[in-house]
Amino acid sequence: MHKSVFAVLAIGVALPLSALAAESYSIDPAHTYPHFSISHLGFSTMQGRFDKTSGSITLDRAAKSGSVEVAIETASVSTGFAKRDEHLRGPDFFNAAEFPTISYKSTAVHFKGDTPASVDGNLTISGVSKPVTLKIDAFNCGTNPMSKKDTCGAAASAQIKRSDFGVKYGLPAVGDDVKLVFEIEAIKN
Amino acid sequence: MLGALRQISSAAPAVVNSPQFDIPRELKLQELLNHPAVQAGLAPFLAALVVAELFQRVRLSGLAIIAGFAATVYLASDFNFEPLTASRKIVLSGLAGAALALLIDLLRLHWLRLLLPVLGGAVAIWTAQRILQQQEPQLMLQWGAACAAYVAILIWGMDTLLDQEPLRAASAGTALGIGTGAAALVGASALLGQFGLAIGTAAGAHLLIQMLTNQALPAGRLFTLPLALIAGLTACIAVLSARLPWYALAILACIPLAVRLVPLPGNSVRIQSMLLVLLSFAFAGGAVYLTWRVAGNVPF
Repeated sequence: MHKSVFAVLAIGVALPLSALAAESYSIDPAHTYPHFSISHLGFSTMQGRFDKTSGSITLDRAAKSGSVEVAIETASVSTGFAKRDEHLRGPDFFNAAEFPTISYKSTAVHFKGDTPASVDGNLTISGVSKPVTLKIDAFNCGTNPMSKKDTCGAAASAQIKRSDFGVKYGLPAVGDDVKLVFEIEAIKN
Repeated sequence: MLGALRQISSAAPAVVNSPQFDIPRELKLQELLNHPAVQAGLAPFLAALVVAELFQRVRLSGLAIIAGFAATVYLASDFNFEPLTASRKIVLSGLAGAALALLIDLLRLHWLRLLLPVLGGAVAIWTAQRILQQQEPQLMLQWGAACAAYVAILIWGMDTLLDQEPLRAASAGTALGIGTGAAALVGASALLGQFGLAIGTAAGAHLLIQMLTNQALPAGRLFTLPLALIAGLTACIAVLSARLPWYALAILACIPLAVRLVPLPGNSVRIQSMLLVLLSFAFAGGAVYLTWRVAGNVPF
């Protein structure tokens, strides 16, 4: 009798604790900008970014697990030159009319101690999905002094080949290797 | 326009830091094949010229169109159809159109010509399907119907030219292809531009044979169907996904009609072809000009 009461109490306490342990966050679009850089004819490295990003993150530090889902609006690409952005949105590159979203869905989050160190997942560009590992270069959680909300921030990066995703326009003159950098802030739900 | 692309292509990173006198022959050849003017101009022209010359004895010189187009697809893109994007659907439709035209001509299924515009309209909706699905229902219907109508009108228009002098179909095809390609290039898509230019230069090769020999060269539906289908679908996708204005399509659609209605003087194929080329290129030039007014200079 005592044993079963103890078991019920233990389950009753453990369930909410485990639910608390897995924290869920929503990506803050005002402070999240995926960047990319690519060689331009071998002369310079052009930088670009996407202005509209959404998604969610869950993190369970105790269990050392988590998940990441990011959706990037393809048409929000911005390189600081409107004519180039138009071209990037067109069928030669991101094909925004046909593929309005670039997405990243994690399959595993790897930890180093208490901190996430890398994320395995699938990146989908122009309808082609390929496994991409994001290396987490910086990670910090705390209370935002302005909004007083629990917030996590991270910088993650990866190197991809655009030709793997069928984006082959201008090869080899315009570089194939693309460096992706995700600067992310996420607010606890 | 292609001059700007030439700058991109000729400055491949592999040779940026290499002495210019030490470029291996294979690299030079690859550089040449990467050149947009070769991919969308010289290669389809030569392929079409050879095919038209080889197959004219068996009255299949119309194969020149799909041969020229295939040469450009091979050099500028690929024959991979996964995922099946709109531009890949254009390639697939062009190949299927050529096969269907061959079947109709060989088996003399001429009654099928009445169904071709309807079939073309359905192919247009299928090609643009993923883009249309992103739109509000009203826009989806408007754009879908307009695309289908444009492709249907081009197929019908080019098919009616088959009853007349072969010169008319070749002239209209040259202007329609080059007009579509140049407008798509200005409207911000190099690949779609190359598709249009490829069929235009292929039709030009067919026309050149007639001008040089001063003799008519029957084109057949193998010439008109894939040409109208590829030109129509390319322009539609350029409108939906880039900055080609819809009214440029209205001008391009007039080319087969104008070429059909103009009376031809005398018997000289050369003089007739020059007259037809001047007339049809006036329409093509108008479409390119209107696109340039909207889109401005090419961004690449």
